[in-house]
Amino acid sequence: MAVYHLQIVTPDRMVFDGQAERLIVRTVGGDVCILARHIDYAAPLGIGVARVTDDKGVTRVAACSGGMLSVARGEVRLIATTFEWADEIDAARAAHAQQEAEKKLSAMRKDDVDYALAEAKLKRALIRQQAKG
Amino acid sequence: MAGSSMKDIKLRIRSVESTMQITKAMQLVATSKLRRAKERMENSKPYASVSSEALQAAVARCADQNVPYVTARPVRRRLYIVIAGERGLAGGYNSNVFKAVAAHCGDTPYCALPLGRKAIEKYHRLGVELLSEEYGRVENLSVSRCYRIAGLVTDGYLQERFDEVWLVHTSFRSMMSQEVRTEQLLPVPVTEQKTAESPETVYEVDASEALERVMPDFLAGRLYSALCDSFVSEVSARRMAMDSATKNAGAMISDLTLRYNRARQGAITQEITEIVAGAEE
Repeated sequence: MAVYHLQIVTPDRMVFDGQAERLIVRTVGGDVCILARHIDYAAPLGIGVARVTDDKGVTRVAACSGGMLSVARGEVRLIATTFEWADEIDAARAAHAQQEAEKKLSAMRKDDVDYALAEAKLKRALIRQQAKG
Repeated sequence: MAGSSMKDIKLRIRSVESTMQITKAMQLVATSKLRRAKERMENSKPYASVSSEALQAAVARCADQNVPYVTARPVRRRLYIVIAGERGLAGGYNSNVFKAVAAHCGDTPYCALPLGRKAIEKYHRLGVELLSEEYGRVENLSVSRCYRIAGLVTDGYLQERFDEVWLVHTSFRSMMSQEVRTEQLLPVPVTEQKTAESPETVYEVDASEALERVMPDFLAGRLYSALCDSFVSEVSARRMAMDSATKNAGAMISDLTLRYNRARQGAITQEITEIVAGAEE
């Protein structure tokens, strides 16, 4: 299959820089799949599981949240807030974060300023566990 | 008389020696921190360059629309995000940053978001309104902390508590030279350079909405890389300062030792003369 140049960056490192066949990632509008020769495209990212298939056909799963996806002239860039490969995820920590967030949410009212924050935290914890499998 | 001056010199030598031990230790600490700090800085660079490109592309798309992060409004008050160190003894590292802010702000009223204990102390003393005082530690500041800071900034900006946001930090050029940079963060300055994006780009959501969503993220990334950059600058500035302090202490000790030996010699000579004079009588 045709490949394209994919870069995945987070504030603290360059996660991926190389040829890829396919990228599936969750944007605010739902999951999108980017193949080679995709039209120029830009979208803010949601919180979801991402799948990257490299030029050898190996697919890796990751938990991805926040930031932006941009396709410009065949160059694909995933500028993520967090991007963790499944094998880097600490399942116990994610489960702990989930419990913490749930506890916090149940103690909060919906119009609390931190409600959205705690909700996002819970979502991230769930996605991490989902990516871990 | 000679005896007391000898004692004085000896005391001075001891005190300079202990100072030298401290400066030497600080130099060693700075050197060992430098490698890790540099690594962090290098890792934070790709995000900064890639995200600023994407940001410029999105900004160019909605330059003619009314987007709060892009559209300039009359400036009644500015926010300065000032990144300084946790401690002093780093040459002009902290004071250069403060000088840059003072030179830049002119007569415009401003509030500050100081990062680093020295910056908090400084702006507290000046009586400037501070957005937050809790970010005293700048070493190993995590990405998620940067997100909280970015949220603080975007919230304040959208509530029109300030109309422009400037970042003042130190950029690492080499071990010998660090440069203070003053950059405008909000509203996002539109540069004339051509972006790689074609006008046909499909946006999942409207470009202005996309911008509103990703702005806090990008700001956090920008802050993170500025913090890494500043910390490397701080450590290398301290290393340089401590290196020259150690050298100066060494020079002082050898000078004092020379004086001590002279005084000792003088005392011995005098004693001999006295003894000889006593024997002749």
